[in-house]
Parts: sequence; C-alpha cells; structure tokens
Amino acid sequence: MMAGVGGGNDFQWCFSQVKGAIDEDVAEADIISTVEFNCSGELLATGDKGGRVVIFQREQESKNRLLSRGEYNVYSTFQSHEPEFDYLKSLEIEEKINKIRWLPQQNAAHFLLSANDKTIKLWKISERDKRAEGYNLKDEDGRLRDQFRITTLRVPVLMPMDLMVEASPRRIFANAHTYHINSISVNSDYETYLSADDLRINLWHLEITDRSFNIVDIKPANMEELTEVITAAECHPHQCNVFVYSSSKGTIRLCDMRAAALCDRHSKFFEEPEDPSSRSFFSEIISSISDVKFSHSGRYMMTRDYLSVKVWDLNMENRPVETYQVHEYLRSKLCSLYENDCIFDKFECCWNGSDSAIMTGSYNNFFRMFDRNTRRDITLEASRENSKPRAMLKPRKVCTGGKRKKDEISVDSLDFNKKILHTAWHPKENVIAVAATNNLYIFQDKIN
Amino acid sequence: MVAQGQKRKLHKEDERGGSAWESQLQSVLDISMDKFHRDQALMEPCLLRSVLINNTLRQVQSEVRTQVESLSAVKSPTKLKPEPDFTQLSPPAEHNAPLLSPNAENIEDTFMAWTSEEDFSLSSAISGILKDLDAVIDAGQGPCASQRAPLSSVENLTPCPLRTERTSDMASSVKTELMCPQDVALDKLLLDIDTAVFEPEVNLLQGFSVTTEDLVKYLPSLSKSPSASSSSSLVSHCQATWEIQEIEHVMDILMRTYPQS
Repeated sequence: MMAGVGGGNDFQWCFSQVKGAIDEDVAEADIISTVEFNCSGELLATGDKGGRVVIFQREQESKNRLLSRGEYNVYSTFQSHEPEFDYLKSLEIEEKINKIRWLPQQNAAHFLLSANDKTIKLWKISERDKRAEGYNLKDEDGRLRDQFRITTLRVPVLMPMDLMVEASPRRIFANAHTYHINSISVNSDYETYLSADDLRINLWHLEITDRSFNIVDIKPANMEELTEVITAAECHPHQCNVFVYSSSKGTIRLCDMRAAALCDRHSKFFEEPEDPSSRSFFSEIISSISDVKFSHSGRYMMTRDYLSVKVWDLNMENRPVETYQVHEYLRSKLCSLYENDCIFDKFECCWNGSDSAIMTGSYNNFFRMFDRNTRRDITLEASRENSKPRAMLKPRKVCTGGKRKKDEISVDSLDFNKKILHTAWHPKENVIAVAATNNLYIFQDKIN
Repeated sequence: MVAQGQKRKLHKEDERGGSAWESQLQSVLDISMDKFHRDQALMEPCLLRSVLINNTLRQVQSEVRTQVESLSAVKSPTKLKPEPDFTQLSPPAEHNAPLLSPNAENIEDTFMAWTSEEDFSLSSAISGILKDLDAVIDAGQGPCASQRAPLSSVENLTPCPLRTERTSDMASSVKTELMCPQDVALDKLLLDIDTAVFEPEVNLLQGFSVTTEDLVKYLPSLSKSPSASSSSSLVSHCQATWEIQEIEHVMDILMRTYPQS
C-alpha cells in the first residue's frame, strides 16, 4: 500500500529522469554539491566539486501532457569557480560549489549566485538566438576586411541562429571571508544578500562588490576558546530585516537588522532543552544543525540535525512544534559513525511549495518525506534499478531489529558511502530533484 | 549503547555497565585523539569538525577528571579531615556541564556503594586513560610545534599551540620554588597531569602543567589548611609532595596488579 506524501491527494512518486554517468568509478569532481530550483521551477541548477554549474531547463509541455510533465534537459554548463591558491596563507582554495541561489527573474535573463569556500559570483544566463550579419569592417568569420575593398556602406541585419545560452560572470564578491562559506541567501528586497562562514555573516549589495557589511561576528578574541561555529544562515522570505543562523550546538538565533548594525545580540533564541536520558558523548555532535530553511509562508523554519528534522514556530523559542526522526536506528551506531566520520555529514532539508511536506536525505541513497498534515512519512530510494521511465517508487524500510521482513534492509547492510545530502522540491509542483553522489534523479508524482 | 545516565550509577549489580562505560570512554578518547592529530597535520582543517572534536575531548576529559576526583576521595579515607570539604571536589559550573557533577551527597553515596574490587578496576582503567593522555601530550608538545592547531585562526599562527605563555611561566616557577630532591621527579610527573581540574577555563589546547601548591590545595587529604598560600614553608611543601608520591605509588601498584579491563 503506497503512501502518498506531499500533496494531500493520493498520489505516488515515480521516476522521471536521471542525469550523470553510470560508471561505478565516480570522479571526485563530478560529485554534486548543491541543487536548486529557480523561483518558477523552470530551471534546475546543480553545482559540483569540480566547480561547474549545470543548469537544466524544463521542456514545454505539449505532447506528453497527459502522461507526465516536461522533462529537464541541459540548458547551460559553465565553469563557475576554479581552484585557487592563497599565497599569503599557503592554502589551496577548493573550487567546490557550496551553494547556488537563484535571483528572482526580472527580465529575459536569469541570474544566480554561486559560492565556493571564499568567493561568491553573480552569473547572468542569457539566450541568444539572433546574430547580426553584414558588417562593414569585418567578414562573416571576423577577419578585418581590406579597407580598399569597402566601396559601399551597408546596414547589418539580424538573422536567426541556433539558440545559444551564454553564462557570464557579472559580479565577483571576493575577499570578505576568512573562513569557509557555508550559506548564501538572497534577501526579499532583491537588492541585498547575505553570506555566512563559520564565524561571520556578511551583508552584500548585489551591485557592490568591493565591500560588504559584517552583521554577525562570533569569533572569540582567543581562538582557543572557540566552542561554537555558525553552520547555516537564511534571510526571511518576506521580512527583509530578519534573518536566522544556526550553530554547531543546535541553537538558532533570529536577528533583526533594524536593531543594531552588528547583530551579535539575537532577537530570538531557539533551543530545545536536552533530554537527559539520551545524553551521550555524541549529544553535541548530533545536535549540530546542518541546514536551516524558512517555510514559504515565513511563519515556520525547519532545521536538520544528524538524526532528525525539526519544525519551529517563529513565535515559540523553547521547543520545536514538530520533530521528525529521519534515521533513529543510527542512534545505537553513533560511535562507529563517529569513527568513520559519517557523523559529520551535513544533510540538507527542503519544504514543498505549500509547506505541507518536508524532505531530507539519508544513507543508502534513501531519502525521506514527511507529510505535516497526515503525519505520514515515506522512505524512497534513488537507484538505477528503479529507473525505468515513469516507474513507481516502492517505499523502503529499514529493519531495526528482530526478524528482517522480505523487502526490508538491515541497518548493518546500509551503504554509508551512498548519502543523499542535497535535495530540492519544485516551488509549485510535486517534482523533486535528488542528488545521489554524481547522479541527479528527478522524480514526479503520478496522479491517480 | 545504553544512554549515559543509566550507566553511571555505581551499584554492585551494575559492574558490567560500569566497564562498558569505561570502554566507551576509552573508544571515544582514542578516536577523538586520532582525529585531533590527523586534523593537526592538515594545513586547513574544517573548523566545524575541529570544534566538535575538541568539545568531545573536553567532555571526555571532564569525565576522567570527575572519576579521578572521586577516586582521590575514596582512596585516602583515613586521612580525611573530620568534615572534608567535598565542595572543592566539584568542578566549577561550566557551560558544558559534566555528565556527572559530584556534590557532597553523590560522593558519600559513591563512597558507600563502592566495593574495593570495583574501585581497583576503575582506578586501573582511569590510570590507563591518564597514561594515554600523557602520551598524547608528550607527543603533541614535540612535533606539533611547527604545525598549526586546528582552532588557531588562519591569521593568528602561534609557534607552539599546546603551550601558552602563562603555563610556561608556571612551569618555570614550579622549578624554582621546589628544592627537595624528590621534587625533580615529582615536578616532571605533575607537568603531565591535566590541570583543567584546577583551572576550569583552561581548555585542552592550552597546556597541562600545574603547581604543587594547587595540587595540594585541592586534595583535601593533603592540605593542612585549604587556603594554603603559595609562599608556605618548604617543610609543608615536602610533606605534601611526599604524600602525593605515596598516592602515585599506590596507583602504580594497582596498574601493575590489575590490568586495564
């Protein structure tokens, strides 16, 4: 019996597409490090460890309207960041794209921000489907014409050409972060955005690249006293003066930029009191928040820590209103997960367009969805085995002890190298993008 | 792994739970120290990871410290003053509260509930752990001098991350004040003991030396007056250090007799 999660209606998730190489040998550079739909859902961007950005565009729905929605095809590919070397500190700066955020579309072109550890770039992606022909001073292939040959003056005419999508860097926001950038977030004023690293958050104007305002600084005078770092930050979707940032100790601070220039003092402090019966050596590590996302409504926010996803009401600071266990069966394995570093994996989470469902990833290429209204949850798998067109996804189950049922998988059989850290949900429809190492899976609903 | 709170009660029937906790403590310590050293070898370790590992190490450290304090109280019951100042054994309140915060009631209960057998196995485990910490510190002080500690800011390179100026001053002051022949060996021993017991603000990275006066002050069995000043006479120094040596000697015997579980 399939449980439909996400739309309220009874529907099932089906495979739509998979992008990326099938090779067992995964090149490090091809590992997807971020996934993001644009505001309309027409475009889907991915960034990888090699510093490349690939943008997919949904084809127009025409012929296949009844069977499925339009497919996503490659629209543009470009090298966003290159590896750099900081000579002053003798450090290599990775080209890995940590985050991509789309700007709201204001004209024919599309704009996105992409960030690696140190630098943020504003890219303009525009289409060109005409070119001018009949220049006076140069030939069609660009060579300068011999001036003695020019006897008449002609006006160049625009001729259609094959569609060309160009990506060009319009702004480079550099040299503002000593530590590694973990978040960027576009403000609702469409003029500013914030960037956060481990210890500081900066506010930028999209037009100004040579300076930014530092709005949060938690660096202690003596670095050896450091016990807490910033893990994620986001602007409120409607109130351009409000933003939140999460920490490695499982706390979230909401700040109001109207209160002070430096928002070191929070307006609200969200923390759930610790359950003393479940305290262990790993309590702090698993409480570290890896992602924070406002709901589209702006009334709630969601945080992801190692074992759970929590939904917070912005008006209630002392505990979350909802808690969803992602993979509670890992709680007894924390020591091993600490040893093999999996405990430090940073999972992201996302809302669906109506804020009625949330999604996050897990191990073994599993990802989980929770319906906030029906309280149903489902575990699905992104795998090549289930990749026939429009094949329905079968719910997966992890056996936590006792006798393993037929289709269940035991905890010890989980592949911890296959982790789904990045997922994205179409802003309006039930279409999801799931990054599984170097492959991008797109799933959509099939309405019964 | 059973939840930590349930394992910490030292009842006779819970002996197995106690050793499981010890082995987990040992595992976490081993893994954390391994990661700590690996990160030190990196040019630019991940700051989040370093902070989490360091905080875990601090937690382990405070656990060990708590056990050592409890052990010291149990070890010398005859030398206890009529009303021992148990509150001095409680670690000062920290932001990260230790898992077991001993207060007077706890310690008395612990003392009553302990059998000598559990006492010995626990002490040998703790000695093993302290030995590991010693080895790590000794190893860390040498070769890491040229490397950057994970939490040092990329713009603030310090020559030797595991020692601050303050602790090296203390070490030199210890050397000048103590003139008894035993003190040379004792001095070396004391330098290896974790001083976070006495200076709660000093974290793992800041060094591990302590003056004899501080050690004397905090062990109620040894102090003639709890507020012994640093300029007390040489005679009381020598007497106190002799008693410290006696405890160390006892612990050495225990380590040899009862191998670490």
